[in-house]
Amino acid sequence: MTTSFFPELISRTDEARRSFENHERIVQAVADGMPLPRYQRLLLELYQLVWHFNPICAAAASRMSDDSRHVRYFFYKHIEEESGHERWVMDDLEAVGVSASDARKSRPMADTQALVGFNYWTADRREPVAVLGMVYVLEVIASVYGGPFSTAIKESLLLSGDRGVSFIGSHASLDTKHMADLRDILNTVQDESKREAICESTIVNFDFVTRIFSTV
Amino acid sequence: MSQPDLSGLPGLLSRPYKYIRLEWSSELSALRVRTCVTPIQCYSLSAMGELNRVLMDIAERPGLVKHFVMTSDVPGVFNFGGDLALFVLLIRAQDHESLKLYGRRCVDLIWWMECAASLGVHTTVLVQGDTLGGGLESVMPFHKVIFERSAQAGFPEVLFNSFPGMGAWSFTIRKAGFAIANEMILSGRLYTADQLYRRQLVDLVVDDGQGEEAIEQTIRTVHPRLRGTLAALQARSAAAPIRYESLIEIVDLWTENSLLLTERDLRLMERLARAQARKAGGAYDGAVEEIKRFELDSAWGEERTGITEWATLS
Repeated sequence: MTTSFFPELISRTDEARRSFENHERIVQAVADGMPLPRYQRLLLELYQLVWHFNPICAAAASRMSDDSRHVRYFFYKHIEEESGHERWVMDDLEAVGVSASDARKSRPMADTQALVGFNYWTADRREPVAVLGMVYVLEVIASVYGGPFSTAIKESLLLSGDRGVSFIGSHASLDTKHMADLRDILNTVQDESKREAICESTIVNFDFVTRIFSTV
Repeated sequence: MSQPDLSGLPGLLSRPYKYIRLEWSSELSALRVRTCVTPIQCYSLSAMGELNRVLMDIAERPGLVKHFVMTSDVPGVFNFGGDLALFVLLIRAQDHESLKLYGRRCVDLIWWMECAASLGVHTTVLVQGDTLGGGLESVMPFHKVIFERSAQAGFPEVLFNSFPGMGAWSFTIRKAGFAIANEMILSGRLYTADQLYRRQLVDLVVDDGQGEEAIEQTIRTVHPRLRGTLAALQARSAAAPIRYESLIEIVDLWTENSLLLTERDLRLMERLARAQARKAGGAYDGAVEEIKRFELDSAWGEERTGITEWATLS
């Protein structure tokens, strides 16, 4: 009998999620926000992750075999929905004092480069379906932690409305439906090696996002 | 008194745990579990997994452990209850299966406590800080519940349109009666140790710093008459039975209700989670204070109680 994969993924990667949530600097950021230079740095790193998100999903969609076509269609839809979201990050950067040209010139941190590289490698060489692990981690961070984090940032930097937090804040509510869609698609994954690869990707993504959030 | 067979002890004590620490007293055959889920002390999946492993180990070695003691190593917090971030994740994902699984794992832990006397184990818990929701539920099946005076507890779930689904109703009704269960669960209020003692949910309140001595005294009092005490406690369970099936029925209702929580409810849950993070970061202000603010924010609460200042409730 086959079992649903989503509960298994939750259970097998919960430690990695909790390590993100419980990292000292992330606890502090969710509780009290962060100083302006750190938040600027974080947005610059997020810009890189968001900019590469769709190309990674596209790479995965192009490489997966036809027996995973439903996952490929999921990626098509997701790519469309996420398209242009890097501009939201750019708007937030401008709102907190970083011009678009400075943002484009910024070099990503090594951890960010490593994470982006890992996700391209997953799509290219490891297991294209495992890019769902990257999607899962970013959805979890947005939909579970995005709301409290954007509130803390607004309070600590005295930002009004969604100015400066439009990317993080809006994803907290936008991604509500995304999580349910993602659960549905993950539950269709039956192949044990694909499940293994998704868990591995999830753990690596949580690990590197934790490093990025805690290092900026 | 015959000496217990200690051959199973090395296995029990040598497992590597991340969120609990075990201490053994061979004189009293007492196993103490110190929980330490840092920085936010709650019933995470991993912590529950570790606790469950210990309880299974005890059950598999009858006669080895005669006293089970639980305390928290996190200053100021016994347990915040459920893993709120996980709840938000599962509710947003509308994942009925995982929520149900989580709830049932919680029920299995409290059911072990409920059956401890039949396994030959007397259970004692010391609460030295805040304990909320599932944290309080986990305390209630213990045979001896000790609170230090500054500890506070309650079932805040109703404030975000949920309810405590892992034994709160059954155990509160048995210990304190129907009216108290109604009052506590439907109000979402927090209670001081003395208030809980007056409601018969806590067996002993001691001054801050006296908890360790109270544990020692409890075990030393029970130990010489352990067999009779456990038999009496089994008879108590028979006289006022709590059925596993009814606990499961309630946790399944909790699952169904959780999936109906709205964005507003989830925002309140997130506020509470953020307050827990503040407390974990060293702030005095934590989840308990946030709940008090919820209450003051709630016109319904004010209309019902006529009280606008939390301090006056003490």
